[in-house]
Amino acid sequence: MTFLSAALIGACALGWTDATSACGDELGDRARMIENGHYAVVFKTMPDPIAVGSHFSVDFAVCPQGDAEKPRTVRIDAQMPEHRHGMNYRPVVVASGPGAYRADGLMFHMPGRWDLLFDVVTSAGSERLTAPLSIE
Amino acid sequence: MRSLAIGVALALGATFAVAAAETDLAFSDADVRRILAHGPWPPAPRNDPSNRVSGNEQAIALGKALFFDRRLSGTGRISCASCHQADRDFSDGLPRGMGIARSNRNTPSLANLSLRHWYGWDGANDNLWAQSLRPILDPREMGASLGSIAAMVRGRAELSRLYREAFGSAPSASDEGVAVDAAKALAAFQETIATGRTPFDDFRDALARGDTAGASRYPAAARRGLAIFIGKGRCDLCHSGPAFSNGEFHDTGISFFLEPGRVDPGRYEGIRHLKASRYNLLGPYNDDPTRASATGTRYVSLEHRNFGEFKVPSLRNVARTAPYMHNGSLKTLREVVRHYSEIDEERLHADGERILIPLRLSEKEIDDLIAFLESLTDGEQRRRPTLPASSPNQ
Repeated sequence: MTFLSAALIGACALGWTDATSACGDELGDRARMIENGHYAVVFKTMPDPIAVGSHFSVDFAVCPQGDAEKPRTVRIDAQMPEHRHGMNYRPVVVASGPGAYRADGLMFHMPGRWDLLFDVVTSAGSERLTAPLSIE
Repeated sequence: MRSLAIGVALALGATFAVAAAETDLAFSDADVRRILAHGPWPPAPRNDPSNRVSGNEQAIALGKALFFDRRLSGTGRISCASCHQADRDFSDGLPRGMGIARSNRNTPSLANLSLRHWYGWDGANDNLWAQSLRPILDPREMGASLGSIAAMVRGRAELSRLYREAFGSAPSASDEGVAVDAAKALAAFQETIATGRTPFDDFRDALARGDTAGASRYPAAARRGLAIFIGKGRCDLCHSGPAFSNGEFHDTGISFFLEPGRVDPGRYEGIRHLKASRYNLLGPYNDDPTRASATGTRYVSLEHRNFGEFKVPSLRNVARTAPYMHNGSLKTLREVVRHYSEIDEERLHADGERILIPLRLSEKEIDDLIAFLESLTDGEQRRRPTLPASSPNQ
């Protein structure tokens, strides 16, 4: 299965999240956080909850942890691991502020377990952070 | 199987049991949520923002007149209703449609169209008015032209009057503009074609109310078939929601060869057509300046796996729309259920996708699944739109 990848926008020109503020504070209490030791991703979907067969957007922030390099680009995608397929749509990510992004055009066309995938791309390569979601 | 609690006492967490004549059938909380997701029915009416005359009574009258009028075709001998026959749930009962020539695909029913976001077996159109224009212009179907459609609307007094009432002005000098407006009137009419409530809907609503007595009136065989549909079969992965379709596209193991050496590429060609069409929702004829309903068109992705994929059809009134599948190759619901029960995984063009697996259903399970599918049939066939008195005929 070919997973769909997302278009990407460079983040460098917009600066970065203020180190004194918590990652993704502006996303509110319903936002979720995932991390892998190098990066934290805080995100919320719109709408929340997601409806099967309806397009949705994701607002998210990507925050380097420790000495991790700032991302050059960020991509978003999704897959159903049980069925080994992805989405039928290729979402587009745009920077919406320092370290903040918005992804449009996602759609989960089946109920069940989906993995929302955030690929953080740096000069050293790409790191993937995965957020499991259950859709009814 | 037996992941579903059939013939056993209520399992932990099971909250709703329906006494049946032959056995007890218990649905878990998760099962009930899956069942409730197939309603309520009917859904709230909604107009198409891309069509400024969606829901407009005069446009519906114009669309109805056009739908049944043979003069709309290039030969003057075929109307929309020639294939979309009201007394056949707006299908034709043929494996593949027959217009001026034989079509490559089965004629789909036209009910509940406002719930869809892709139109046609290949989803080549993202809106109903563009989909309405397609067969009129197709030389194998109705063989008309933008000019002939516009000339008919301008030249027939009754159609011209209905046009003025619907659109607020006389037909313009633009053939394309008038033809697209005619297609929008056709769409407005087709949006009024809806299926009614079914025995399943009564059962579903009884479950929602916690009405055990009401739910118990649903036939036992249909209940067992429903349990397979949402359980072992996982049919509801694709046949989801109130219309029993996720509106998307899959390879179901049906041949996409039209004849030796000639194939129907399905969704792959549909996306290519969609992206190139000036009648898509990103184009100049979308009446909604926000383009809010164009999200799918903007982000849909063309992939190699789209080759041989066809749209998941709605199952409402499915018992009345034989034959089945995109090429009409399966004559009965029993053949369809057997196809999925014995599906050849090697045949699937799925790039490793693991959705369809052979179900190996017993004969009794097949009977039950068919009983469930038949319970998705309404009792309102005779109330459907019929030939207008003023029309030159179908």
